[in-house]
Amino acid sequence: MRDVAIVGAGITPCKGRWVERTYYGLAQMAVKEAVADAKVSIKDVDAVVYGIYNDIFELSAIPEHPLQGIIGMANKPGMRITCGGATGSYTMMTAYTWVASGLYDIVLALGVEKATDCFDFESMTSTPEVIKTIGWSADTFYERELGWTASDSYAEVVLAYMDEYPDDLKDEASATIAEILCEQVQNNPYAQRCGEKVTAEMAMNSRYVVYPFKLLETCVYTEGAGAVIFAAADKAEAICRNAGNPVVWITGVGAANEHNVAGRDKRHKIMHRILSDHLAAEAAYKMAGIKDPLKQIQVIELHDAFIKQLQITMAEMGFVPLGRADDLVNEGLMVPGGPLLVNPSGGLTYGGHFVGGSNMFSCWSARRELINRGLERGLVHGTGSTIAQYGAVMIIERRA
Amino acid sequence: MAEKVIPIHMIPDVESEVIEVGGQRYLQSNEAMFTFYKRTKGEFSPYFLALKERKVILGAKCPTCKLVRVPPFLLFCPECDFNPIELVEMPDTGVMNSTPPITYFGHSLFQHQVPFGRGRVILDGADTALPIHVYTTRGVLTPRVFKRGTRVKVIFRDERIGKPTDIFAVPIQEIPEHKRGVPGLQESDLDWESPVEPELPAQTKEAKKAYEWVLSQIKEMTAKVARSERAQKNLAGWKRRIHVRTPGGSLGLVIDDGKFKVEAGEIDAPDLVMVARDPGVFSDWMNFRDSLTNAIIAERLWISLNKEFITVFKLDRLPRSIKRTKE
Repeated sequence: MRDVAIVGAGITPCKGRWVERTYYGLAQMAVKEAVADAKVSIKDVDAVVYGIYNDIFELSAIPEHPLQGIIGMANKPGMRITCGGATGSYTMMTAYTWVASGLYDIVLALGVEKATDCFDFESMTSTPEVIKTIGWSADTFYERELGWTASDSYAEVVLAYMDEYPDDLKDEASATIAEILCEQVQNNPYAQRCGEKVTAEMAMNSRYVVYPFKLLETCVYTEGAGAVIFAAADKAEAICRNAGNPVVWITGVGAANEHNVAGRDKRHKIMHRILSDHLAAEAAYKMAGIKDPLKQIQVIELHDAFIKQLQITMAEMGFVPLGRADDLVNEGLMVPGGPLLVNPSGGLTYGGHFVGGSNMFSCWSARRELINRGLERGLVHGTGSTIAQYGAVMIIERRA
Repeated sequence: MAEKVIPIHMIPDVESEVIEVGGQRYLQSNEAMFTFYKRTKGEFSPYFLALKERKVILGAKCPTCKLVRVPPFLLFCPECDFNPIELVEMPDTGVMNSTPPITYFGHSLFQHQVPFGRGRVILDGADTALPIHVYTTRGVLTPRVFKRGTRVKVIFRDERIGKPTDIFAVPIQEIPEHKRGVPGLQESDLDWESPVEPELPAQTKEAKKAYEWVLSQIKEMTAKVARSERAQKNLAGWKRRIHVRTPGGSLGLVIDDGKFKVEAGEIDAPDLVMVARDPGVFSDWMNFRDSLTNAIIAERLWISLNKEFITVFKLDRLPRSIKRTKE
């Protein structure tokens, strides 16, 4: 396997609705930003991998095909990845693999998603139709007809965790994390909720979306796009030297998909665990030579579909013990000045969540923090599918 | 008219409109992505036919490793070199695998069924959990009715068409002892009309005062509804008589096709009963501090019929509509 680095990244502003752009336009905007960041021509890019989660959002069964030409990739390889919420992470993992394998030298990972074009004509709002659209992701024989939603699916996992660890995930801790993310999002001009002020008290008092998730502790629906350019070592060093950017290396990748059916042991889904996140992190740490993530990782961009899930994922990835996820706040691990910078972008809760490209948004932010703050190592995480079935982790490093 | 796979009322007209953003005009049009199916249930057919025709739940047992998977979602056991599984009849009792989520805000196809619980039950002798709706016969469904380990019995719908919704689970303790062992128990075999009302403490001076204050506040609110076209629209086409009990006294809320009235004391022939230990939940509701929905979730407000949650949603819209109405 060859060494691979990120040489450029770009995202669009995150908006609840882009009336003025289709997903074609959003894709072009993100690619333009990424090649400008890397100071390369799109002609230098050998192949593209698309992350687009849901056909219904884009109203097309092959939503990537109109993008190939307009992003300047005509007559080159292009492949679409769709893996639920973890689409972006799996897309970047594929782009990484294409380069690491020696197949291509420079590969673009492009994630894009519309969402709120979906519209419910009964309530005359988008939200019920967006929820319905995501609802088609559930098992279509045994679960969809029971009214499965993404929120209640993650709520199942969190409630099961709370069954197992009744003294953890106190509302005060998750509300404090909401306030921290909202403070951090002010540093992200592309964020959907930049400029918004949410306190822990406001988060505590916001209404339940589905118990135990409260509105201000739940990710937003976003439309947008993100692009990340991966390059083999020799090309990466040349590109970054030319652009004046530090080389940010991919030193670890890992992924795991659990069973979609819950059961008594790990041959099936153990409901109180997000084992996918644990296994993905374990694999990525092993590849990157990380023994103690708390000491060796400084910035984390974590797929926070819900803040209580963020807490469990942090435990599954080894930053706190399972059952002690409130230590993230109580022990000061992720509070300002603490050892971990978690979701400096504001995360998906306050920054934005355009599903197919959300993990590119996270990667863009983690790389930005490594460069701007002179940090050494970051972690980019994606989760997805029903009952948090999919998990993917990527370790990135800026070597001095 | 027979029920349609796409509810007719959800289908918009063919039309387009112009939206202005930042001084620019953008066109958007009503569209839909739809496909109709005659979808086979294939290898899952025996399971769904057994639900529909025999009121029996089937599982898939691996003859080698003895794992029993319910529902029978596979043909071969991946743990045992893809040995063929055998279909076995399962008991209709089991335990909740974990605390189930309760959906109060359903998506557009399920808005009329809320609140419902979507849980997973490990039937006796099974190794995997059956996804299933969970309900209580004792009033509104809250997050505290079902917990991990709650013992349940699977109940069959009176009308079954071979779908996951042909069955649901209720806490076994809600079923009379002589019916607990009866196989194929149907929804009509259960008593849904005798919910157990929460007990209220004896009346005190303070409670009476709190009741009277809330009553006066609701009276003011009814006057505001009478002046708000938007609020009247929230209640249009809806008729309900609601008996509200608090420690300080009772009152009646009457919704009558856009009109909203409050009466002191007992109300005749109520469609539903609300019980609040603290009448402050109504004050919070009227003053935007908290919704009646949240009060129900937090078990600060109880209603007698789960299906009447739709009335609660309508009431929850009133404070916002009144606020949006210019005095």
